[in-house]
Amino acid sequence: MARKPKETAVNLAVNLGGLPMKNPVTVGSGTFGAGMEYADFVDVASLGAVTTKGVSLNGWEGNATPRIAETASGMLNSIGLQNPGVAHLKEVELPWLAGQGATAMVNVSGHSFDEYVAVIEALEEAPVAAYEVNISCPNVDAGGMTMGCHVPSVEKVVGLCRAATKRPLIVKLTPNVTDITEIAKAAEASGADGVSLINTLLGMAIDARTRRPQLARVVGGYSGPAVKPVALRMVWQVANAVSVPVLGMGGISNGTDAVEFMLAGATAVAVGTANFANPTATVDVVDGIIDYCERYGVKDVNELIGALEC
Amino acid sequence: MLYNEKAPILFNEEAGAGIWIMTLEAPEIAAHALPGQFVHTRIPGMEGHILRRPFGVYEAYPEEGTIDIMYQVLGFGTEHMTTLEPGDEVEVIGPVGRGWQPPQGCRKALLVAGGVGSAPIHPLVCQLKAQGADVTAILGAQTEEALVARRRFGRALGCEPLCSTDDGSFGRAGFCTPLVQEALDEAAAAGEPFDYVACCGPEPLMKIVARMAADAGVFCEVSLEKRMACGVGACLSCVVDTVNGKKRACVDGPVFPATEVVW
Repeated sequence: MARKPKETAVNLAVNLGGLPMKNPVTVGSGTFGAGMEYADFVDVASLGAVTTKGVSLNGWEGNATPRIAETASGMLNSIGLQNPGVAHLKEVELPWLAGQGATAMVNVSGHSFDEYVAVIEALEEAPVAAYEVNISCPNVDAGGMTMGCHVPSVEKVVGLCRAATKRPLIVKLTPNVTDITEIAKAAEASGADGVSLINTLLGMAIDARTRRPQLARVVGGYSGPAVKPVALRMVWQVANAVSVPVLGMGGISNGTDAVEFMLAGATAVAVGTANFANPTATVDVVDGIIDYCERYGVKDVNELIGALEC
Repeated sequence: MLYNEKAPILFNEEAGAGIWIMTLEAPEIAAHALPGQFVHTRIPGMEGHILRRPFGVYEAYPEEGTIDIMYQVLGFGTEHMTTLEPGDEVEVIGPVGRGWQPPQGCRKALLVAGGVGSAPIHPLVCQLKAQGADVTAILGAQTEEALVARRRFGRALGCEPLCSTDDGSFGRAGFCTPLVQEALDEAAAAGEPFDYVACCGPEPLMKIVARMAADAGVFCEVSLEKRMACGVGACLSCVVDTVNGKKRACVDGPVFPATEVVW
């Protein structure tokens, strides 16, 4: 039975840079498909938004296997943004999400500046509530993180995407930089309506017995509960550096984790790797936020945003 | 339809050679599992290991609402599983995946299992026998003690399976592939060739059996295993190279026609 969050008198609605969300919980792109695979477990329409798997113009095959490795309280992945292309998303997943009544945020990927724009242009007539521009994937050679590490390329890609749409534009940032606030400020100055962070941390795992890397691509993106302290720190830094809202993520697996991100300054949160262990993690996180608010007399979840006392 | 059941352990004991059988109370999965499907398990007491573990359904008992899985102690997770006791609760997603798809009206089947690959083959033996097919089963293992499925296969078949052990302690000495070739050759020579071959085991075994079946002109399926995260088709971790591009082992498989696999 597909679950939805419990009833509550607490106001859970937030606004993420022009994207109205019925509650502050979405999913980390790439951990949830477009929701179809999780429809037996959760009512995708009951989430604040469904953030879809990164999509490129004509699709990518992704990396060789093994693509994942389990590590202490976390995992590495190097999927490489495998996706069937934007036409498939328009024909199959977006109509399905619309039919469910879900709020769709599309994660947009590209190998070049032009490709990001082309993907957005292809989606302008489709039922999409917001875009998340992925300039932070560590697992592709062109585009992805290479674009999100330097202020000039961030300004260029965000500026081009901004010119291509009036819809809410969230820019997803990589933690693999010296100063994430500089990148966040560049995104804001170039027209981003919000920033999301963190994408995965670049890491690796080795099999000592075979003396080989555990991932075919040698390095990959590190996620899961282990990265939460890094993510919290970066959300807190960025929320203090920009005035656009922050979508916080990194190791969130329960309501308390989510509340901590909101206290650090996040307006909304994404549940990612936790979906793999617990297919109802998204709804469990919403329920956990409700429990926290009811227990501490919080009538409106917006009261939590940036309410860290320090 | 996938279920996520909190499944109490009813039984968890070693069957031999570090291979264990666990019985779980999971009524929905027991009622709906098809031969070759698997369950994706979240094991209690190992929260630092955040991923679920997939195990083929060894046997489903719809009336009792239980399933058996088989596991071999190989690493931290399976070592930890041996410490679980009846009453402990495992979370299981299932039944997952595309199971065996023998041809309609399958008349004569050759089923080959290496090691713990015997688990997902066993329900197929039961299904094909129930349909009245002539089933030959071949089990390969390292030692006699590791042939843990031999008696259960014997009951399903109504006769002994053909066995091989690497150390020669039971059945034919060496790998099971010569037994496979002989079975294919004998059936062809008798003018009654197999119309289906299924194999689950180490990838080199499946590759050899797939080639033998192809040479004999017999339709063959294999059950592939890849490192898996979500287990429901979303994360694209467990992809397999096929002639039709990358496919997900979890939901497009685990069973694939052998001719589709790029080995």
